[in-house]
Amino acid sequence: MSSKRPIKQLLSDHKTAIFVILILIAGGSVGTYFVIDYMNAQDPDIITLATTTSTYDSGLLDYLIPKFTQETGIKIRVLSVGTGQAIAYGKSGDVDVILVHSRSREDAFVNYSGGQVPYGVHRACVMYNGFLIIGHLSNPANLLPGDNITTVMTKLKLGMTIGHNTTFYSRGDGSGTHSKELSLWDQIGWDPITAGTNYYKDVGAGMGDTLLITYNDANDRGYTLVDRGTWLSFNDSYTTLSILAESVVGEDYLLNPYGVIPVNPVFHPHVKYVAVCRFVGFLTSPYGQDLINAYKKYNAVLFRSCFGTCNETHSCPTTDTEISLWAPFHSEYVGLSI
Amino acid sequence: MANEIIEGILEALRLMFTFDPELWGIIEVSFRVSLTSTFLAALLALPIGSYIGLREFRGKKTLTNLINTFMGFPPVVMGLIIFLLLSNTGPFGSLGLLYSASAMIVAQFFLAVPIITGTAKAAIESVDPMLKETILSLGANERQLWWELIKDSKKSIIAGFLVAFGQAISEVGAVMIVGGNIRWVTRTFTTSIVLQTRMGEFGMAIALGIILISIAFIVNYGLTRIQSRGS
Repeated sequence: MSSKRPIKQLLSDHKTAIFVILILIAGGSVGTYFVIDYMNAQDPDIITLATTTSTYDSGLLDYLIPKFTQETGIKIRVLSVGTGQAIAYGKSGDVDVILVHSRSREDAFVNYSGGQVPYGVHRACVMYNGFLIIGHLSNPANLLPGDNITTVMTKLKLGMTIGHNTTFYSRGDGSGTHSKELSLWDQIGWDPITAGTNYYKDVGAGMGDTLLITYNDANDRGYTLVDRGTWLSFNDSYTTLSILAESVVGEDYLLNPYGVIPVNPVFHPHVKYVAVCRFVGFLTSPYGQDLINAYKKYNAVLFRSCFGTCNETHSCPTTDTEISLWAPFHSEYVGLSI
Repeated sequence: MANEIIEGILEALRLMFTFDPELWGIIEVSFRVSLTSTFLAALLALPIGSYIGLREFRGKKTLTNLINTFMGFPPVVMGLIIFLLLSNTGPFGSLGLLYSASAMIVAQFFLAVPIITGTAKAAIESVDPMLKETILSLGANERQLWWELIKDSKKSIIAGFLVAFGQAISEVGAVMIVGGNIRWVTRTFTTSIVLQTRMGEFGMAIALGIILISIAFIVNYGLTRIQSRGS
């Protein structure tokens, strides 16, 4: 008689019992997951932030958030999506706070919900970075350093419509970068979508993918609009591409301001408004602003702080009342230095 | 790009052997979610699949067609459906389960159920009819017959379970939508690869891909051994 025998006997005698135990174990463990996740959803010190790929993928938030958690004990779960999606999540109340870059849609978010109460409250302008127009070194559209934005966009338009030697790749995904690009075409009163040119390609992809497509343009004549942070993380790989236009002195069209907006607790009562206000307080405090300026990737500064000075940096219509609103939330971070 | 592949292989080795907490966190989330969902799906799908395989009833053909269709259900659509159900504006929004491991388990569960049901049904049907008659002639009741047939076709059933698990762990669309790729919480192999590629960190992305393939290979190898020993 082998030693396995009694165990086998035991197993075959209690098939039903073993089956029930298995189900109980499975049900119990899954039940535990659901309970833990449910409790986390109620925990006032765990908030969810929807932000754009450009802020998250640059590593900025992975640098800032641990410092915030260290001071306050509040944990932040970050969803890295496009501006359009982040705003949609804010509207549905699936997140507690958004950090995005598309001024017109941010304004719509804080001013209108179709009802009496706005979706978001108290937008704070926390930082900005720059947009660049990059293209192949052959530069068929002949963009020159120092060209202002009207000249740049007109040259690209002529390259697509008359020269047929320029291809522009558009994100086409409703992101902040996409809406910025559309506003730049608007500057010269041209609509690439209705213009019916084959040289304007709507790729419907993220920034990294759009850069890859531009890089692989068959005739080396692709151009696209990119934020500086994403460009810095890719420019080593894409050696045939370079910066062909950037913000010139005295113009702010290519500046890219980011706003943080708490979701309105009147509209969505379940959002964790108190913790969110402490987070906005952190970002807008002198400590948070210093941290943003100190963050470097590839030896370059990616974002510049602008809370309180956004009127000068990019003629932002933020009022003094909106700025002073956050002052009480700065007291937690007084005396901290980076 | 050749540099990046070599860099990726080195990075993969480095991350594995230095027990990088981020990497092991990703492995833990991926396995916890996919194993749980597949196991739960098997608990529901095995009885249903073997019942359909064993019995004849009206509408069996339609049901079979339906199961076969759902076996190829686009995961990203499943993600969208679960997202809409769990979103704050959806019917289960108040649970707050969106962007959690639970949400990913739910999505993968509904993807795995048709796969395991379909393979269990096919496995039971493919059992030699002679065996069925022999078992019955030995005086077995219905429940004993059912159990014997499952035992006889266990290889195919394990294979079905493996297919479902393989799909679950390598799937990206649904878990991205309902999980949100949150660091330490819902970041899996696949969503992490998407993120690393987007960030231009090809080395890390390839490293994760290599580790995912290796783990899949080891799991499959182990289970194949179990299968062949069982016969």
